[in-house]
Amino acid sequence: MIIQGTHTIAAAPAHVFDRLMEPAFLQQAIPGCEKLEKTGEDEYIAHLKLGIGSIKGSYAGKVRLTDRQPPHKFTMHLQGSGGPGFVKGTSAIELKAEGEATELHYSANVQVGGLIAAVGSRVIEAVAKKLAGEFFLKFSAIVEHDVKPER
Amino acid sequence: MKSGTSNGYFGQALKRVEDPRLIKGIATYVDDLRLPGLLHAAILRSPHAHARILGVKTEAAKNLPGVAGVFTGTDINPACGLVPCASSMPGLKAPRHTMLAGDRVYFVGHPVVVVVAASPAIARDALDLIEVDYDSLPAVTNPEKALEKDSPLTHPDQGTNVAFTWLLANGDVDGLFAQADRVIKQRIVHQRLTPMAIEPRGCVASYHAGEGSLTLWTSTQIPHLLRTLLPGVIGVAENKIRIITPEVGGGFGSKLDLYVEEAMCSHLAMRLGSPVKWIEGRRENAMSTIHGRDQIGDYELAVKNDGTVLAIKARTIADIGSYLQLLTPTIPTLTGLMICGCYKLKAVRFELTGVYTNKMATDAYRGAGRPEATYAIERLMDLAAAELGLDPAKIRQKNFPKPGEFPFQTATGLMYDSGNYQRALKKAQELARWDALLRQREQARQAGRLFGIGLSTYVEICGLGPSKIMAAGGWEWGCVRLEMSGKVTVITGTTPHGQGQETSFAQIVGDRLGVPMEDIVVLRGDTASAHYGRDTYGSRATAVGGTALIMSVDKIIAKAKILAGALLGASAKKIDFRNGRFWVKGKPKNAIDWKRLGQEAYEAKNLPANLEPGLEASSFFEPKNCTYPFGTHIVAVEVERETGDVKIVKYVAVDDCGPQVNPLLVEGQVQGGIAHSLGQVLFERTVYDENGQLLTGEFTDYPMPRARDIPEYVIGSTVTPSPSNPMGVKGVGEAGTIGANPAIANAVMDALAPLGIRHLDLPLLPEKLWRAIEEKTAGRKMKKPRSQS
Amino acid sequence: MIPAAFDYSRPQTLEEAVNLLAQHGEAAKLLAGGHSLIPALKLRLAQPKTVIDIGRIADLSYIREQDGRIVVGAMTTHHAIETSALLEEKCPLLPEVARHIGDVQVRNRGTLAGSIVHADPAADWPAAILALDAEMETVGPDGPRVIAAKKFFVDLFQTALRSDEILREIRFPVTAKSVAYVKTVQRASGFAIAGVAVVVDAPRMTVSVGITGVAAKAYRATAVETKLAGQSLSAENMAAAAAKAANRVEPLGDIHASSEYRAHLAQLNTRRALVLAASRA
Repeated sequence: MIIQGTHTIAAAPAHVFDRLMEPAFLQQAIPGCEKLEKTGEDEYIAHLKLGIGSIKGSYAGKVRLTDRQPPHKFTMHLQGSGGPGFVKGTSAIELKAEGEATELHYSANVQVGGLIAAVGSRVIEAVAKKLAGEFFLKFSAIVEHDVKPER
Repeated sequence: MKSGTSNGYFGQALKRVEDPRLIKGIATYVDDLRLPGLLHAAILRSPHAHARILGVKTEAAKNLPGVAGVFTGTDINPACGLVPCASSMPGLKAPRHTMLAGDRVYFVGHPVVVVVAASPAIARDALDLIEVDYDSLPAVTNPEKALEKDSPLTHPDQGTNVAFTWLLANGDVDGLFAQADRVIKQRIVHQRLTPMAIEPRGCVASYHAGEGSLTLWTSTQIPHLLRTLLPGVIGVAENKIRIITPEVGGGFGSKLDLYVEEAMCSHLAMRLGSPVKWIEGRRENAMSTIHGRDQIGDYELAVKNDGTVLAIKARTIADIGSYLQLLTPTIPTLTGLMICGCYKLKAVRFELTGVYTNKMATDAYRGAGRPEATYAIERLMDLAAAELGLDPAKIRQKNFPKPGEFPFQTATGLMYDSGNYQRALKKAQELARWDALLRQREQARQAGRLFGIGLSTYVEICGLGPSKIMAAGGWEWGCVRLEMSGKVTVITGTTPHGQGQETSFAQIVGDRLGVPMEDIVVLRGDTASAHYGRDTYGSRATAVGGTALIMSVDKIIAKAKILAGALLGASAKKIDFRNGRFWVKGKPKNAIDWKRLGQEAYEAKNLPANLEPGLEASSFFEPKNCTYPFGTHIVAVEVERETGDVKIVKYVAVDDCGPQVNPLLVEGQVQGGIAHSLGQVLFERTVYDENGQLLTGEFTDYPMPRARDIPEYVIGSTVTPSPSNPMGVKGVGEAGTIGANPAIANAVMDALAPLGIRHLDLPLLPEKLWRAIEEKTAGRKMKKPRSQS
Repeated sequence: MIPAAFDYSRPQTLEEAVNLLAQHGEAAKLLAGGHSLIPALKLRLAQPKTVIDIGRIADLSYIREQDGRIVVGAMTTHHAIETSALLEEKCPLLPEVARHIGDVQVRNRGTLAGSIVHADPAADWPAAILALDAEMETVGPDGPRVIAAKKFFVDLFQTALRSDEILREIRFPVTAKSVAYVKTVQRASGFAIAGVAVVVDAPRMTVSVGITGVAAKAYRATAVETKLAGQSLSAENMAAAAAKAANRVEPLGDIHASSEYRAHLAQLNTRRALVLAASRA
């Protein structure tokens, strides 16, 4: 499954890029993220509690960044699993200056497995887009105000 | 048929004696069993299509109160054998099919850990406490790409995804293709299907430590074959194993297997000293009970301009999934054997490659290899008719063997035992009112509607079969016992699971013995009462198992004549027998009935010297040949342009299964078979995504035919007795599915033909038809959607 | 197919139910007819700590005409709606939609409110709720609240209902007979691939169109409505308007229908529903 989207954030690419590398910012923006810790150079672990309607689940995962070329692009590798199944994916993220703002484009190749793949196939893409949308909405708000969230 | 009675049960459309208990909900299925101390198993299955197992943590599950044991492959596999495959195909590469996954998983649903607990709920809770660390690997999901050099491997240790290759070549194929005026070519895809029996699998295993004996209740078609196979897996001798098959809620081939769970529960019952039950859930059923079909074939048919068919070539790939089940490699070879259909082809070359992919294994599913053959040859005949401008019925007739040519040897080496294909076709055309149907199509087409007529003339192979063609014997066993009270107990080695042989076998025996059906009990599905048997599959039970009963009845009658003679003071030769009564020739008033004979036989006070007490006989019947039922199905459909929906306007089926013991059961089998075909042709398909995730694992995503989908059937028959058994019966369990697939598909393609659409693969989903129609009519090229693989 | 353990409570009054909900918060789920919740429980996709069964609360199941409107209680089953003579007379779209839901067993148990608060993007009711401009009355710790249909369906499986609120009643306008629901069914699940509910208000020369199954949430096809407002309902006008049925939505695609086919069916079923509703005027 390929999921892609473009979001405009009212801040310069260098600034956006920096913030994307800060776990504290990300944790606030990632839907349902209860924990995001750096475990090594460009490596993180995350705990997420996600719910869509009555469908709720906890997920634990690892995030790894490669191909980091600030402030233009990076690649994110994600692997997570929980009761309802697992998610594995790679996303290419590109930042482009658009006047004073940044146009962020992501293209993710996501593999979903287990129960969520089996019973959720009709809505999985919509769910993924919704979660991505929520993330960027929140992330934009945080970056634009640039208030460092409290840990 | 020869009969000792005028009961006349044979041929009567009697209601099934099985039905009242099923309808009232008072029948006993595996899950109804309650044994003292019963433990419940639940299985943790792989969510990955292909992964390495890095670690399994079971501590938390083991500590859950009520859990009796948690076992991984490391715990179980060394103590058990492998899941057997009965195919002896040369060069077959067989992966080690262990009880639980070892260090790798090979398909979504692969069993990884088994939990045994005091209740199903505790066992289920425990599964959530197990942590398995997987390192996912690339999955093989496309059987054609699997053959490419750089493809990932389903079983890396084998170095190839090819499980086997098989070639059936007979006659001068190249010479005949050189003589052909035309070669009809078509790639034909048979989608993967999920059998979805309404009762999923399930079993209860109980071990008697004192006796060292094991009893296994299981929802299967093959209790006897299990008793033969299980010793090699669990190390208990065959004569210390008893398999009981209670009521079975549907098999369709999917319960013609020894499954991991049956062996594992048996092993665990021995290991834990308590009976163990496992009941499959629907999702488990969809992912870990065998699938059906899944073949891709490139077909070529050599024809003359006058419609004479000369030879056929096929290169086919069977996507068999990741493991071999009992008959996995054998099924697609049946496609090769039956590829000539009803036609006098002179030569055949059928190349088959079995390919491993990261999916559930395929195996026998209603029709088992034959629907693929019939569908391919019947599509090709229609394509040939269209290219040559011939009538589809006439091109078929032209190539049928004549009734006088039977037994007819096919180019594939089979000997069709009997047939009159012309008569079945003619009868179907009459029932369909063929000429009126053609006019109806003409009118509809003039009005711009998409109306099509489809025809299929099929032959299939049933009554399996002579032992020389079967891995573990093709005979059948049956026993008939006159009880002391004069009642009759019939024990069959076949295992009816919905076919209705408790009724039809009582009809057969009741007629021949002259005993009312109410006095007859038919026992089946218990290896302790039916000592021998080869069970039910391949539409064999009546032709082979019914004959074993007739042989036994005749032995009883012969013995009863000796006893009656002794009681009446005459020799057995002078005894007449009819309607359940024995008398000395010419003195019918002084007759003895079965009740008296039963009493005398078992009280044994007046037996002649050398006559053993009792009136019981058992027999093995070894058929000389299989049987070859045939028939014609005619279907009319209308396709809605704007949606691609298909509506069945008319359905006519004429089947020749020989003399019918019970026409009601025959009709039921034909109807059920056609319903399966409606599903396959119009909407059913098992979908794995490109990563090997199963997307059709529930009834919410796997569409089964419903009552509202079933059209009104016009069902007729012709009767051409088979010379392969004394009753002349052939079998009808799969005929509907074999005949219907091409008839429905040909009708839909005929409806689309005026638009210039030549062929579409199954299933003929509305969207697929809509796209094809749009491309031809609106002239726009449609994007291929990702969701329509 | 065994749910995780949960506590179960069965309040006798709505007030009691509201209190229980306030007490347990997000950890609780309400059980009405059970046709969305029970499958989720059995698959363990939902694992609430507490299930509050509102099935025994008296007087939540009714269909009445009240102050010129039709009011339907939350626990009213699809079957009750399907067979209501009052609705057949005063709000015939509701029985027509009910007939398309699942099968007899589902309709006997499933409830109107249960379906709409679940907000399945392929459920049938949301199309009618939107087309009829229904009002949802909820009750919570802060008392009752009324939510308009247009604001009710927020997103995939998400409504404007707060987690401490219970949907108590749904209110519909009395309509003429000029309504229709045309649905392409996903034949395995019975849900809608594209379900279109149309209400034609002949005197005002307006139509309203609710579409379900096509996008991540049910929506009003405003482009269709605008195009037809004040226009005669000629075949050409209706066809031209129906072509806009999937404008500005991202149609879902799955193994049962691609997004392109869904969009096509949205247009086709809109045209058919318009024609059918107009013919009933």
